[in-house]
Amino acid sequence: MSARLLGRGLHLLGLAALLAFTLFPFYWMVSSSLKDQTDLLASPPVWTFVPTLSHYAEIWADEKVFGAVVNSLIVASSTTLLAVLLGTPAAYSLARFQFRGKKDLWFWFISNRMISPIVLALPVYLLAQGAGLLDTHLVLILIYLSFCLPIVVWICTDQFRSIPPDLEQAARLDNANQWDIFWRIYVPLGLPGIAVSAIFSFIFSWNELLYALVLTRSDVQTAPVIATSYMSGYELPWGKIMATGTVIVLPVTVFALFVSRHMVRGLTMGASK
Amino acid sequence: MEFLKIDKVVKKYGEATVIGGVSLAARQGEFVVFVGPSGCGKSTLMRLVAGLDDVSGGRIHIDGVDVTEVQPAARGVSMVFQSYALYPHMNVRENMSFGLKMIKTPAAEIYQRVSEAAAILKLDDLLARKPKELSGGQRQRVAIGRAIVRKPKLFLFDEPLSNLDAELRGEMRVEIARLHQALGVTMVYVTHDQVEAMTLADRIVVLRAGQVEQIGSPAELYDRPVNTFVAGFIGSPKMNFLATRVAGVEANRLQLAHPAFANGDLTLPVRDAPAVRLGDTVTLGLRPEHLSLGGGSPLALAVQSEYVENLGGASQLYARSADGAPIIVHTPGRLAAARGETLMLSAAPEHAYLFDAEGHAI
Repeated sequence: MSARLLGRGLHLLGLAALLAFTLFPFYWMVSSSLKDQTDLLASPPVWTFVPTLSHYAEIWADEKVFGAVVNSLIVASSTTLLAVLLGTPAAYSLARFQFRGKKDLWFWFISNRMISPIVLALPVYLLAQGAGLLDTHLVLILIYLSFCLPIVVWICTDQFRSIPPDLEQAARLDNANQWDIFWRIYVPLGLPGIAVSAIFSFIFSWNELLYALVLTRSDVQTAPVIATSYMSGYELPWGKIMATGTVIVLPVTVFALFVSRHMVRGLTMGASK
Repeated sequence: MEFLKIDKVVKKYGEATVIGGVSLAARQGEFVVFVGPSGCGKSTLMRLVAGLDDVSGGRIHIDGVDVTEVQPAARGVSMVFQSYALYPHMNVRENMSFGLKMIKTPAAEIYQRVSEAAAILKLDDLLARKPKELSGGQRQRVAIGRAIVRKPKLFLFDEPLSNLDAELRGEMRVEIARLHQALGVTMVYVTHDQVEAMTLADRIVVLRAGQVEQIGSPAELYDRPVNTFVAGFIGSPKMNFLATRVAGVEANRLQLAHPAFANGDLTLPVRDAPAVRLGDTVTLGLRPEHLSLGGGSPLALAVQSEYVENLGGASQLYARSADGAPIIVHTPGRLAAARGETLMLSAAPEHAYLFDAEGHAI
C-alpha cells in the first residue's frame, strides 16, 4: 500500500518537474513582456513587479508586427488546409489499396522528413528566384507543404489502417461509392488523426524560421522573422521581443486547444465485436 | 428454379487455391448453411457471392442474372458481418438508413422502412443510441436491421452469432429462424457451429479445404454422411470411430473384427455387396446418442470407463476401447461408472456407419 503511494507520489513529482521544465520558458516570456526595462534587466531577477502593457502598446503601434502575424496566419492556415486536403486521400489510398510502388511511395514520404531543412535552403532559394516566387506567400506555402504533407500522410495512414475493413465492405454493400466511403466513413472516424496532423502542420508552419528568413524580404515576413529582427543592433529590446513572442504563441495555443477535443482516440470503439 | 447458382467457382490468392471449383444451387426462399472447420473457405465463398472479392474462375448467378462481374451493391444482397461492422459514429437509425440514403431514397420512406425494421427487431427504443452504447445482442440486431431495410433478394450471414454468449446465441438463433419464416427471403449462412447448421438449415453445404464434401438436408447429413469427415463434423458430441478389419465378406453381410467386440468379431448387414476385401480396414462409426449401456445387441463392444459428465437430464460417458480409441456415450438419465471399470455398450445394427479405408461411406 505504502509502496504504491510512494510510487504514485514519485510519478506526480516527475510530472510536475516535467511540467515546470516545459512551462517555465512560457512563464518567463509572458512575465518579461509585462515588466518595464528596469525590472527586465534586474539581477537577480525580480519575481514581483508592477505589470505594464507598454511593450504591447509598442508592438501594437508597429504595423510590421501586425502584418507579420497576418502573414503567418495566411501561410500557416493555407499550408494546413492544403496538407490535410491532399494528405488524407493519399493516406486513405496507402492504408487501403494495393498498388505498384506503394512501399517506395511510403518511404519517399518518410524520407522527406529525414533531410535537414538547411541542406535544401540554397537550392530552394535558387529555384524560387528562378520562378520569381521570392517574397510571396505562395513560396512559403509550397515549401511548408512539402514538410507537412508527410506528417499528415503518416499519421492519417496509421489512423485509417486502424479502422476495421469490414466497415468499408459494409458501406460498399450499402451502395456507397469510393468517395462516400472516404468522406462518410474514413474522415469522421479518422478525425483524431486528422486533427493531430493538422495541429502539427499548423505549429510547424507557424514556427518555421529558416525558410521564412531565406525566402522573404519585406512584404511577406512572418511573425518569427519579425521577432528575431529586433535582435540586431546595440540595444536588445527584451520587452518588445517577449511581447511579440507572446503574441505569436497565442494563435497556435488557441488553435491547439480548439482542435484538441478531437484528438481523443477511441472514436472507433463499438464498431465491432 | 435455382435462385442462387454457384457454378465451378474458383478463388486463388496468388498460388494458394482457397476455393477449388465449388458448384451448388439454392432455391428461392431456402435457408442454406455453409459449414466447415476454420480455413475451409466458407467465409471466402460467401464474400464471393457478395462480390466483396472477385472470383478467379466460374460464374455466380442470382435470380437468373449472372452477377459475376456486378458490383456488390448492385447484386441485391445484404450481409451481416461477424464483427457486425456498424458505423461507430452513427446512431442506430443512421446506421440502418445509410444504405437507403446512398441510393437517394426519399427521407419519408427511409424513416418508415427503418421504423418497420426496428419494430420487427425490437429496436424502437434504441434508435438514437450509438453502437458503443449497445450490448452485443443489440448490435447484432442492428446489423440484421440494416440488412433488412434494403429489402435484399438474398441475405448473407457471416458467422453472425460467434461473438455472443451461449444463451444469447440460442435466442438469436431462434430469432433468425423466425425472421426467415416471416420474410421468406433466401438466406445463406456461414458457421463453424454444426448445431447452428442443423437447427437453421433447409440445406447444409459441408466444406473442407475449399471443396464441397456433401450437400444435403440436416437429416440426410446426419443419417447418410458420405465420408468420415462429414460424419465426424455433423452431430454433437462427435461420432465415435473404430478401425476394424474385414474378417468375412458375403453378399449383404460384412464380418468385422476388433478387440472390443464381444467375440472379437461381429456381423453387420450392408445394403449392397460391399467393395471391400478380406483383411481391409473398415471404419465403424457409432454416434454417442445411439450407444447405450449393457450388452444384448448383436452390436456390442467392451470399453473402459474414464470419466462421466452429468448434464442434469443426460449423462456423457468418456471411455476407451481396447485399442485405445476414445468412445463417447450420450445417454438420457444419470449414469454411474467408476474410473477403469469395464462396461458393455450396445447399439442397434442399423445405427452403424461403415466407411472404407479412404473414409468413404460403404
